[in-house]
Amino acid sequence: MTLIHVPAPVLQVRNLGKYYGTFDPSMIERTGPENGTARDSLTGSIIAAWDVNFDVAAGEALGIVGESGSGKSTVLRCIAGDIDASVGDVRLTPLDNGEVNILDLDPSARRQLRVNTLSVVYQDPAEGLSMGVTAGGNIADPLTAAGWRNFGAIRERASELLSRTEVPLDRMDDIVRNFSGGMRQRVQIARALANKPPILLLDEPTTGLDASVASGVLDLIRNLLEELHVAAVVVSHDFGVIEMLTERCLVMQHGRVVEDALTDQLLEDPHHPYSQKLVAAART
Amino acid sequence: MSHSSHSEQSILEVRDIAKSFTLHNIDGRTVTALSNVSFTVNPGEHVSLAGSSGAGKSTLLRLIYRTYSITTGTVNFRLSNNEWVDIAQLSDAEVIAIRGREIGYVSQFLHAQPRRSVIDLVTKAGISRGMSASDAREQAGISLNRLGITSALWDVHTSVLSGGEKQRVNIAAGLISPPRLLLLDEPVSALDPENRERAIEVIADLRDAGVAVLAVFHDLDAISRLASRIILMSRGQILTDGSVDQVLPQLTPGDVQP
Repeated sequence: MTLIHVPAPVLQVRNLGKYYGTFDPSMIERTGPENGTARDSLTGSIIAAWDVNFDVAAGEALGIVGESGSGKSTVLRCIAGDIDASVGDVRLTPLDNGEVNILDLDPSARRQLRVNTLSVVYQDPAEGLSMGVTAGGNIADPLTAAGWRNFGAIRERASELLSRTEVPLDRMDDIVRNFSGGMRQRVQIARALANKPPILLLDEPTTGLDASVASGVLDLIRNLLEELHVAAVVVSHDFGVIEMLTERCLVMQHGRVVEDALTDQLLEDPHHPYSQKLVAAART
Repeated sequence: MSHSSHSEQSILEVRDIAKSFTLHNIDGRTVTALSNVSFTVNPGEHVSLAGSSGAGKSTLLRLIYRTYSITTGTVNFRLSNNEWVDIAQLSDAEVIAIRGREIGYVSQFLHAQPRRSVIDLVTKAGISRGMSASDAREQAGISLNRLGITSALWDVHTSVLSGGEKQRVNIAAGLISPPRLLLLDEPVSALDPENRERAIEVIADLRDAGVAVLAVFHDLDAISRLASRIILMSRGQILTDGSVDQVLPQLTPGDVQP
């Protein structure tokens, strides 16, 4: 019996897993946080992520926090389709009302999802942008892929997105390689939002930027998430980012989720030893 | 959950809750912060929590808001649709859904996100509680004025405000379109006498609005003026739960230490 109305999930992830190497069912219990490693000593296989489960609703941002190598980016890339998940079930409500496990789709159908259903903002803008193309051209790409043909309309949408992401419009016809790191990240965000995707995945979106630039990009993301009512997943090692953008989060270590909690609870009352260590480190 | 097990009037029924922390990185020891705590709060009632530093007052507020997980016990809360839920058993998504509109929490410190203007912060709090953007903006202005934050400060980022200004902005945001149960953790601790008076008046009005308030104050004056009941705590347990007339004379200055 549910007495409290909770918004329906837009993204559902069940039993998601990714390993590299041969599979042997017993390697699961030889790896993970209890064993202090994601690498199986017997087979040499690496269990990059295993048994990951979560839901995200529209207007909600879920955080995934952990150190590098914890598997958080693997999870995001398996959902995005950048790498093939080994096992799991990922459903998007906007796609056939969640009747399809997107991990079963063929590569062209997966690519199609990236056009207008699910966008990714990467830590490195070079992954999300064509560096030798202009800012306007980068935004035109997903628009033409979605069937936009009118040049004027494409220019108009591109300038609308660039002004929303606070990129000076007089830079629209400049090659993005000539942009600063913060500006490149803003163009990447503009491109990711071009077709108003209902799901947005952000992988360390401010890591590597100067502090003042990072805070500006973080403010932009916060405001966009509030405005756009997307379902977002934010992967970050930085609790400041997780605290600012999310209300719920997962903690990953050695490829496994060791804790899922309300973000304020994770920061004030972390339960798992690894979460306690991470929070203590973030507080000093 | 059957209705018969609950009082007709109450909004919050805390039953035998306990909280312990396991400190994995400090030799794995377990610290019990609170135990055997039971009490009831009715709408329109203002219950003050008193007790010396470390008595468990803030812990109790955080448990009800679920900033701390509840180790054992039940925290039954009556929703606006009159159904009862046990906050201890709610999923994280359900907790998020009832925060704001049903249960609010105002701490001693403004926990505002950086680079956000005063008016924006208070307006957003109203919108999150279901007000229209224009109503929220209007009410935010009224609340801020009442707390002595004049319009000259509205467009300023909260991070540049003084401690007392931050605290008043925090109260304005916490009390706009007030939730049905409000948890206050030393909300006026940094205020000068004039602004403290303004804040106390605003908090006093909540009683007429039927809001149930559970509050920690660090001064006897605020308690004697606001409370309809006092719960005196010590070492994570309730010592006394009674009327203001009954409990106030028992309090020592040490019982209202932050």
